[in-house]
Amino acid sequence: MKMEDMPLSGPDNTRLEALVHDIYSELVDDACLGLSFEVHRAVKQGYFFLDETDQESMKEFEIVDQPGVDIFGQVYNQWKNKECECPNCKRLIAASRFAPHLEKCLGMGRNSSRIANRRLATNNTMSKSESDQEDNDDLNDNDWSYGNQTSPRRSKSLKHKNGTYFFRCRHYNYSSGINYETLGPDEVRSVLTTGCVMPRCPGRSQRCPQHTDEQRRAARVFLLGRPPPLPDVDAVMESDTFDIPDGQSLMSRLQWEDSPDVSPTDSASSKATCCAQNEAKTLRSRSSAQKMVFIENKLNVKHCAPPRKLYSSRTRYALFRNTAERRGEAREAARGGQFEDVMFGHF
Amino acid sequence: MSPAGCSHVNGYKVENWKQNLRVIYQCFVWSGTAETRRRKAKSCICHMCGAHLNRLHSCLYCVFFGCFTKKHIHEHAKSKRHNLAIDLLYGGIYCFVCQDYIYDKDMEQIAKEEQRKAWKFAVPNLLTYTTWEPTKRELELLRHNPKRRKITTNCTIGLRGLINLGNTCFMNCIVQALTHTPLLRDFFLSDRHKCEMQSNSCLVCEMSQLFQEFYSGHRSPHIPFRLLHLVWTHARHLAGYEQQDAHEFLIAALDVLHRHWDDNGKKANNPNHCNCIIDQIFTGGLQSDVTCQVCHGVSTTIDPFWDISLDLPGSSTPFWPLSPGGDGSTVNGESHMTGPTTLTDCLRRFTRPEHLGSSAKIKCGGCHSYQESTKQLTMKKLPIVACFHLKRFEHSAKLRRKITTYVSFPLELDMTPFMASSKESRMNGQYQQTVDILNNDNKYSLFAVVNHQGTLESGHYTSFIRQHKDQWFKCDDAIITKASIKDVLDSEGYLLFYHKQFLEYE
Repeated sequence: MKMEDMPLSGPDNTRLEALVHDIYSELVDDACLGLSFEVHRAVKQGYFFLDETDQESMKEFEIVDQPGVDIFGQVYNQWKNKECECPNCKRLIAASRFAPHLEKCLGMGRNSSRIANRRLATNNTMSKSESDQEDNDDLNDNDWSYGNQTSPRRSKSLKHKNGTYFFRCRHYNYSSGINYETLGPDEVRSVLTTGCVMPRCPGRSQRCPQHTDEQRRAARVFLLGRPPPLPDVDAVMESDTFDIPDGQSLMSRLQWEDSPDVSPTDSASSKATCCAQNEAKTLRSRSSAQKMVFIENKLNVKHCAPPRKLYSSRTRYALFRNTAERRGEAREAARGGQFEDVMFGHF
Repeated sequence: MSPAGCSHVNGYKVENWKQNLRVIYQCFVWSGTAETRRRKAKSCICHMCGAHLNRLHSCLYCVFFGCFTKKHIHEHAKSKRHNLAIDLLYGGIYCFVCQDYIYDKDMEQIAKEEQRKAWKFAVPNLLTYTTWEPTKRELELLRHNPKRRKITTNCTIGLRGLINLGNTCFMNCIVQALTHTPLLRDFFLSDRHKCEMQSNSCLVCEMSQLFQEFYSGHRSPHIPFRLLHLVWTHARHLAGYEQQDAHEFLIAALDVLHRHWDDNGKKANNPNHCNCIIDQIFTGGLQSDVTCQVCHGVSTTIDPFWDISLDLPGSSTPFWPLSPGGDGSTVNGESHMTGPTTLTDCLRRFTRPEHLGSSAKIKCGGCHSYQESTKQLTMKKLPIVACFHLKRFEHSAKLRRKITTYVSFPLELDMTPFMASSKESRMNGQYQQTVDILNNDNKYSLFAVVNHQGTLESGHYTSFIRQHKDQWFKCDDAIITKASIKDVLDSEGYLLFYHKQFLEYE
């Protein structure tokens, strides 16, 4: 476009203005030409259609803007069951619990130094089951909740010595001892090998201060039929080198008359009431051997009546203290109550 | 012969045609050197009408320039039977028999090479990128599979929720802000990171993977467990299952990314010349001037920064103390008590001259003795992404609390008044600063806001991020919902992310 053909743009139509306008329109023309060439080439080479998308995909990825759903059209809070694999220990962990798990796994948490000390002391390579327990150890501790910042127990339990969690056991809710009903055979096996197998002891590790090593050893021997292969009783046993004896042999161990602590069984002991019977036995004696009966009962699901629910200690105690009208009912529960009486406060 | 080419070029492709074509490209199309440019300007005019515009073409067979719009080149082609001409603006080859531009593979190859050569000469450090073009086989496949994911303005691609791994909402918010930083997004999506780290623990690779996850089109929230693991192993001070501060996490994450860049062995251990993407985007320069009150000599240092922490009113320390002991209720005659505090108020306070007091005398180089002085902070170099951290906590002897004063922040921010250059012009007596509308260097726009609800001990982080210009979304861990601009501007604001509006080549 020649400058002479330029329209008058205003009262101040200087040549400079016109020149500027000239250059500007030339640049715009060039840019448009460039774009036209691009499109032309795309069409001629046959890839112009790539820019399009299909209707279905457009709809699929459209943003949703409605109350109660997020932009994908999904309802809130449906992501409870997500899992992920820990890069450190390669186990599947629930996503919302991953951070506390990782903290322990990497040895960074508050308890991790304790666990690490223990590991060093036992001087073993960590087996999966053992680390399992230690994790569950902390998780099972109801009082040890991370959100519970104001709990006085929290500060107390930090004062532990020699790697033992001296205060924690004391505050355990007794009903949350190891509930064998909920354990699979592998877990039961691991607890029996490396946990504190004393009945009702929620301490899942070998260093539970409530029981001595001797007690544990005896319990293990009794239950599993042979002493652990290594001289150190706290050694981890290879979980695949032994089986949990089945209920029958455990039962038979109960009839072992050599044990001075075993009280004579009731004459009419039928299978249906074996649990109750065995529990009654434990009432009379506090030997470690007897207390394993409790475990045996829980393992031996085939023979016994369905295991009794584990009431909280308070509930049981309350049941025990019922009035005469409910004594029939209480008698049923009384075994638990008496059991509780024995256990409660004497640990 | 490709469908885009034509058979008529075969007449041209005889004896040394490649060299001839190269010369034409070098001299008349992609003029790289000053000499060729001058030659082009002088000689490239239409032989018939003398115009230099009108889509000038050059005949490929002889030396003739003719304009396209006035059909002068067409006349030449018909009369001389020279059927090929080249467009001098973009290098396209026109065939008069086909009456269309044709794309011959060999000729295009030559054109591309010459273009690259010319550009390299003109812009020495230019990294030439060629746009992707599908091969024949790829075209076939694409034609058979018409389903495509196209990112339009109403598209969810690029947005994804993040599962809370147990008090990790602080991490989720920072991840959302980083994944919506346009420059970072472009960097990682164009696969610019080539990892040279041997192990699997490169955080930059994990960031790259994160972008892939965000743009995958998956609707379920992503579980950033690998990221958490990597950050904890590389930034030990952050590790631990406790509620943490988002700002601390941001600094630690940027630091680890920066360090991992170093590990790639790209350059020497010179902190001032780091070329990593983090430094290019986030690093700015803060100028600190200490002025001696006696001789008025100024001692200047420039420190790099990744973020700017701003004090807020509502704490025990007064907001506008100009001199020690002064209540400082007015600043330069303007009262600040009316209206809510704005971000610019906070920035003004940040860059005000501060009297250091008689107890903190600095040794002055001019006076050679300890003198009282004032200190002032200004921005020397602005980062591409400016992160403002509002210090919403108070840790004084008597109390520890969160400061919940509302601070209003703008969508668009002009940092010019806080620059070191502005301060200099002020000192030189130019009090009236002309608003230079053509200077776009210091204009920023908001793209992410991180908010905290709760107390100092415990709370929850959420964030607002901007996608597709003016579309805002609220990210609350796994839940992403649409938000309005008003929601964003009314929120409390703890971390504010601003992006430069105009990026210039250096």
